[in-house]
Amino acid sequence: MQVFIAQVINGLSLGSIYVLLATGFNLLLLVAMIIHFAYPQVVVFSMYIAWVVLRYTGNSIVLAVLAAILSSVLLNVISAPLFQKIMKNREEVDINTTMVMSLGIGMIITDILSHGFNKGLPIAFPPKLVGETPILRVGLISLMGGQVASLAVGVIAVSGIFLLLYKTRPGRAFRAIAEDPNGARLVGIPLLRTGLESYALSGILGGLIAVLLAMLLGYSSPGLGEQVAHKVLAVSIIAGLGNLAGGLVVGLALGIMEALVQGYISGSWSNAIAFVVMLLVILFRPRGLFGIKL
Amino acid sequence: MAQNEMLLRVDNLSVAYGHINALKEVNLEVYRVEIVVLIGANGAGKTTLLETSLGINAPQAGVITFKGKTISGVPADRNVRAGLCLVPEGRGVFASMSVLDNLLLGAHHNIKNVGKNLKRVYQWFPRLEERKSQIARTLSGGERQMLAIARALMSAPELIMVDEPSLGLAPIIVNDIFDILVHLNQEGYTILLSEQNAYKSLKCAHRGYVLETGKVTLSGSAAQLLNDPGVREAYIGA
Repeated sequence: MQVFIAQVINGLSLGSIYVLLATGFNLLLLVAMIIHFAYPQVVVFSMYIAWVVLRYTGNSIVLAVLAAILSSVLLNVISAPLFQKIMKNREEVDINTTMVMSLGIGMIITDILSHGFNKGLPIAFPPKLVGETPILRVGLISLMGGQVASLAVGVIAVSGIFLLLYKTRPGRAFRAIAEDPNGARLVGIPLLRTGLESYALSGILGGLIAVLLAMLLGYSSPGLGEQVAHKVLAVSIIAGLGNLAGGLVVGLALGIMEALVQGYISGSWSNAIAFVVMLLVILFRPRGLFGIKL
Repeated sequence: MAQNEMLLRVDNLSVAYGHINALKEVNLEVYRVEIVVLIGANGAGKTTLLETSLGINAPQAGVITFKGKTISGVPADRNVRAGLCLVPEGRGVFASMSVLDNLLLGAHHNIKNVGKNLKRVYQWFPRLEERKSQIARTLSGGERQMLAIARALMSAPELIMVDEPSLGLAPIIVNDIFDILVHLNQEGYTILLSEQNAYKSLKCAHRGYVLETGKVTLSGSAAQLLNDPGVREAYIGA
């Protein structure tokens, strides 16, 4: 029982990160109308930036968080004109080309990380970040600071995004574009400019994810981006492309399932779950478990 | 007098989609506080004319001016802010969003006065207030058309362009919609509408233009057009 609870807790923290990644990815899909395969690589890049800042500021967590957020936002916003340059009519993006472009950007980022930082070796984050001693300990169940943070930030961020979408003016513009870009244009919503806002928002999310991943994993490596990217894609496809609420459920569920497999069966099999489920979904429910919302 | 100020002027407008010439050297004027109707069959170019005026497309040739300033080639959101709006064909409401959210989206560029405008819109369309939390998809065709018009009003426009308001609606509802447009005009709004239903629209308009395969073939007062034998034969069937 204790192993079960411990693993569920692990799973929830990991799941929160999947949810945040899927949300950032879906936002870009819905509002900026791009498929950003390199989003996880942007996050990993920000992890490296945070690592550098930690080293040079004597482990100042606040500065590292700010640096991570800033770097994600900047990377996203700078890449925006590249994506937006591929336009079908005025103010519309060719979604298929963005897929290829983002794959390329991802490779470039991974390459920069392999050659520019720590000679390509994985980087380790200071143990203080992860939390050396558990906050709470009941038998086999131990709750680390990093896990609590990850869950808390996950909950706050996702609630924040839903609040933004449903109760604010920019959120309404996002939803309008997500439902019908042409209709949004007719109401006078600037597609490119609003798309840019979604790049920034995904960037902020990305920075947060970078910090949480650093806390949860304790390390980062150039290859981490690709591993994570595949999972995020799997979560999106299983839930249904563009389905934010579905992404929430699937992300958490996947995190918990992976953690349970790690606890009861063996570590390496946990990675297979996401893809086995994705395969089943594509075969039997191609629109995703909760429906495509594009 | 403000009555005679020219609000919208379309000068020698030509618009093409690839190789298809949708509009050829179209001239059109709309003065303040009048109702002008654009009559034409499917494919005549009505939607193209309205959408190009709004700023969705850039013309190949010609100039569009609104309140004296050139707006051809200017993006739609700037023109909406300047007082122009379009109620699109097929209603154009956001089906998955609530009535209130749709109205708020109409006020996207005029959020300062949203409370005032919302109250006024609810006064004119009490049925929309009743259904304000309902998802737009659950509204009837007539209610959706009302929502689309109400949404346009939220941006406090000076010129409202309406693309085929009667499309797909039952005759009784069509009468309601035209009554609404006339009422709005009496409140001071200038209206440019496009229609296949020539009779009903000419009955409430001041002037009209007939559009055929991208060219203006006839123009004049509503009474003149109603009595024109060519118009009667082609669009009224009398």
